[in-house]
Amino acid sequence: MTHIIIQGLLLSGLYALIAVGFTMIFSVGRVLNLAYGVYIMLGGYIYFQCVQVWHLPKAVGFVMAVAAGVAFAVATYQLLVRRLENNPVAVEISTLILAVVMQALIVMIYGAASRTMWPLVNGVWRIEGVAVTYNILIATVASWFILGGLMWFVHKTHLGRAIMAVSMDRKGAMVSGIDPRRISLITWAISGGLGAIAGVFFATYTQLDPSMWVGPLIIAVAVVVIGGIGSIVGSLIVAHLIGFMETITTSLLAAELRGVFTMLLIIIVLIVTPKGLFGREEL
Amino acid sequence: MALLEISNLEAFYGKARSLHGVSLNIEPGKIVAIIGPNGAGKSTLLDSIMGITTTTGSVKFDGQEIRAQSPALNVKAGIGYAPERGNLFPFMGVKDNLLVGAYTSRDKIDENLRMVFDLFPVLEQRQTQETGTQSGGERQMVSLGRALMTSPKLLLVDEPTIGLAPKVCLDIAAALKKLNEETGLTIVITEQNVNFAMSLAQELHVLETGELRLSGTVDELQGEDYIKQAYFGA
Ligand SMILES: Nc1ncnc2c1ncn2[C@@H]1O[C@H](COP(=O)(O)OP(=O)(O)OP(=O)(O)O)[C@@H](O)[C@H]1O
Ligand SMILES: [Mg+2]
Repeated sequence: MTHIIIQGLLLSGLYALIAVGFTMIFSVGRVLNLAYGVYIMLGGYIYFQCVQVWHLPKAVGFVMAVAAGVAFAVATYQLLVRRLENNPVAVEISTLILAVVMQALIVMIYGAASRTMWPLVNGVWRIEGVAVTYNILIATVASWFILGGLMWFVHKTHLGRAIMAVSMDRKGAMVSGIDPRRISLITWAISGGLGAIAGVFFATYTQLDPSMWVGPLIIAVAVVVIGGIGSIVGSLIVAHLIGFMETITTSLLAAELRGVFTMLLIIIVLIVTPKGLFGREEL
Repeated sequence: MALLEISNLEAFYGKARSLHGVSLNIEPGKIVAIIGPNGAGKSTLLDSIMGITTTTGSVKFDGQEIRAQSPALNVKAGIGYAPERGNLFPFMGVKDNLLVGAYTSRDKIDENLRMVFDLFPVLEQRQTQETGTQSGGERQMVSLGRALMTSPKLLLVDEPTIGLAPKVCLDIAAALKKLNEETGLTIVITEQNVNFAMSLAQELHVLETGELRLSGTVDELQGEDYIKQAYFGA
């Protein structure tokens, strides 16, 4: 029981971080960026390249991972999404294709086999008989800090409020002197950076694998669908719902089943409550 | 020199043309009303001044050509806009809505907030209320307030009285008048409510099916048979 609570909390913090970048793009642009998982994968592989291949300091690995996530997201927005802005389905199809292409690219460079990432920090902490690696503990605490910072940013800064404004009423934002396209670009950049950070944590928690963009993407989609648009707190709650569901499935049923329930939950929520549990608008 | 000079302005939604060669000058310090029935093109005209619609022709603000300029730059240049039904941010509080309006005018936040709260004291008491839960009148005040937070030289207001009780209309009219008199702010409103427009504006323009039909002062237009027939059923 204690085991489930601790593991669940830790996993959920990471899932919340994974989901938030995706949710932001969806709120501002009303499109599902199916290439979002690529930022997570890129974050993981770039960090691996810097730290485990080139033996650079971990901090450098982090910075490079974030830079790669931001650059890739900005390029995706400028070269692809911006041109398809009025057609969400086209954006969704082309970002999905992009993700598959990036997976092939990763296979070409690193091979199809999965690779193990060194933990960010070594060591294990025992509480109540439960072994918690420092690695996941650090990842979770860092996730909470980042999420807290993001909440502060969107509520207390001009730029953050402008992002919220565009997500709630595009014309209202325009007549307030905000350029929605610039805000979209900035949102994509932030999303790419957050995805890459989440990717480093996620890869040290699981492992590096050319198909590792899929699992986090499903979690992110689930959070948007189940949580609904425009509610950051709703996203956090749903991330915990999913985190706990997966922890329970893994420890009581079988590890292979853990993604299945998340996907079933997406379908059920779509049927029962199209706005999501905390949503403010129809999806 | 006119603050706003519109000449031969045409606006398009796809291939459909919603404004036909509109030409109009707005002198600084005035309150001007554009009146016309549903679908006349009032909102389209204000959107076009703002740079939101596709247009041809010319719009000069303060002597500068702004027709092809983005809405964001037009706000920065000094045009404030309270659009029809507000386009407020429904899940943000009153104060946050106002602060978004200050996006391009950050050095004047304190004085502009003070001005808005003095003009609409209700808003000062309701700073954290989400605008999605407010009454129509309160929302209209937030909308005007948000436009004022941009530190405008020209304020465009689209149908400020739509769906509001007479008492609230009077409050809004008083606020606009006060702004105009005390700060010299130039104001353009659109209205279907001709009485409201006449009580407030010094100059009126009648827009019908995308064309300007008549222009004149309140006294001039009051005698016009056209106005009597169309709006007062005489
Ligand atoms: N987004 C749009 N797409 C296509 N046509 C539009 C659009 N907006 C307005 N129109 C058309 O342009 C014309 C003018 O509309 P507009 O909204 O400017 O009128 P209005 O005078 O503001 O009317 P109301 O008093 O009802 O607000 C109408 O024929 C309308 O159908
Ligand atoms: Mg209108």
